[in-house]
Amino acid sequence: MRKFVINVNGNRYEVEVEEVTGSGNAIATAAAPVQAAPAEPAQPVQKAAAPEAPKPAVSSSAPEGAVKITAPMPGTILDIKVKTGDQVKKGDVLLILEAMKMENEIVSPQDGVIASVNTSKGASVNSGDLLVSIS
Amino acid sequence: MATMDKINDLYARKQKAELGGGEERIEKQHASGKKTARERIQMLMDPNSFVEIDAFVETRSIEFGMQKKKIPGDGVVTGYGTVNGRLVFVSSQDFTVIGGSLGEMHAAKITKVMDMAMKMGAPFISINDSGGARIEEGIDALKGFGEIFYRNTIASGVIPQISVIMGPCAGGAVYSPAITDFVFMVEKTSQMFITGPQVIKAVTGEDVTFEELGGAATHSTVSGVAHFKCASEEDCIRDIKRLLSFLPDNNLSDSELYDCTDDLNRISEELNGIIPDEPNKPYDMKKIITTVLDNYDFFEVHEGFAKNIIVGFGRINGRTVGIVANQPQVNAGVLDVDSSDKAARFVRFCDAFNIPLVTFTDVPGYLPGVGQEHTGIIRHGAKLLYAFSEATVPKINVIVRKAYGGAYIAMNSKHLGADIVFAWPSAEIAVMGPDGAANIIFRKDIANSDNPIAFREEKIREYREKFSNPYVAASRGYVDDVIEPATTRIRVAGALEMLTSKRETRPSKKHGNIPL
Repeated sequence: MRKFVINVNGNRYEVEVEEVTGSGNAIATAAAPVQAAPAEPAQPVQKAAAPEAPKPAVSSSAPEGAVKITAPMPGTILDIKVKTGDQVKKGDVLLILEAMKMENEIVSPQDGVIASVNTSKGASVNSGDLLVSIS
Repeated sequence: MATMDKINDLYARKQKAELGGGEERIEKQHASGKKTARERIQMLMDPNSFVEIDAFVETRSIEFGMQKKKIPGDGVVTGYGTVNGRLVFVSSQDFTVIGGSLGEMHAAKITKVMDMAMKMGAPFISINDSGGARIEEGIDALKGFGEIFYRNTIASGVIPQISVIMGPCAGGAVYSPAITDFVFMVEKTSQMFITGPQVIKAVTGEDVTFEELGGAATHSTVSGVAHFKCASEEDCIRDIKRLLSFLPDNNLSDSELYDCTDDLNRISEELNGIIPDEPNKPYDMKKIITTVLDNYDFFEVHEGFAKNIIVGFGRINGRTVGIVANQPQVNAGVLDVDSSDKAARFVRFCDAFNIPLVTFTDVPGYLPGVGQEHTGIIRHGAKLLYAFSEATVPKINVIVRKAYGGAYIAMNSKHLGADIVFAWPSAEIAVMGPDGAANIIFRKDIANSDNPIAFREEKIREYREKFSNPYVAASRGYVDDVIEPATTRIRVAGALEMLTSKRETRPSKKHGNIPL
């Protein structure tokens, strides 16, 4: 359990974040405002703050011009085999998507360099979600 | 005119027709990486076998200066000849003549050879390289298209029809290839679309290149319109000949019987080790397919489209078989909208042309998701059930691993009329996967137990041991035999041999109503 202080629209929030995946890959997946310290206009701000806090530390967009690798079906990311900047060859395994009780290898459609990794180990993805981009 | 002059005049006329749009345009065609209509026919046919007909046909139109533009042959070369000694009929559009545009007489030439192909019961190959309808000829051009589509439909299931796109094929013209059995496209030089990039830009504002919109790569992977993507025209012709070698001349004949140079009793030890010990690990289904076929030789159809299912041709004991198999390596081998369509169409082709079906099943189910439901997985998935049920050719199924639920039924099950169903000892034939089944059957017990997680695990294990095997199905006769994987080739070959005299009749009807 780690404590953070977050300022939203000038309001100070003390936030406790617990890592739930158990993997060494520390990514904040759950966060909730525990208490709004100075409760000024209280109600509307709290609403605005809540959805902003739990954003995962991965971006949802790929760099301009990069080839996007998206999830072919809904499932869970079991493993990520590459990181930003890695050289990959066509056919290299980029990540493992568990779906339909199968470990599906998501392979690179071309040679290139990993431009971004847009998901995290343990994440649930829907078909069409951006996973990795290659330039 | 003296008789000798008349003969000379004949040759002069023929020469003119053969030049099509003239030297300059032929050069332009070559410069754009394309062969001419006649060169393509020469590549396809056995040497000196091509016989042209209708070389003197020309347009009747006199509107918009057509009188001056007209050239004998009217922009298409038609005729017949042999490919590896077998009769085929061909039409090849000539882009050098008014952009290969389709007018009334151009279409009449094509429909004439189509009618001949049907009468003689020989494959029809249509090489497309055309700017589309000849606007100057107005609705007579449309009539031409309509008459071609009509014949494509009437000939469907009677003679194999192959469309070869070697240039533009736009607007209404795309619907002839669409109705035919197989569509070949050449990378970079061929495109197919209903409306081009300019129109799309004007109507929807979307920017798209010709290649992205309707190139060979797009149609062979995204849309599934093209069955084969070829690197060059030479490659394309080679693949067409290969495809023809697997097909019969018509629906009343059998495919050519080849000498089987491979050992029919080959024991393939490698198959005993191909299924991973963990049920959630993928493997390459193509290895199983090739190992069972003569000389490990598999000719895949629709290689790049809906790769979670594999379809294609091969031979067992020298006879053509159609293969349908789930590919666990891609999307777990699920059945979805595209894979159902792809397999159903292939099954119907094989059934129409007396090609026995051999399926390899490893399917976890139909793909769940809002997207699939909303794009009609019910409607599309039903096609696969329909196609297998309807097929009266010999049907053999080999269940190598998962066969769950509705997908088990759809994949050529005994219940849809499979003649012989084999299962490997690794087969898991059940109403659903062990996890899901345990959750449903023991829901209350799990909730009430002191340690729900451990209790659930135990129930899953129990279910797996009891039901995730081939023996429950075999005890009911849904599986005819459980076989050692290494013996699959012998067993399938033996079953095919037994099934050669299969005769199965259906109630007479006009036609069924497949859920399209």
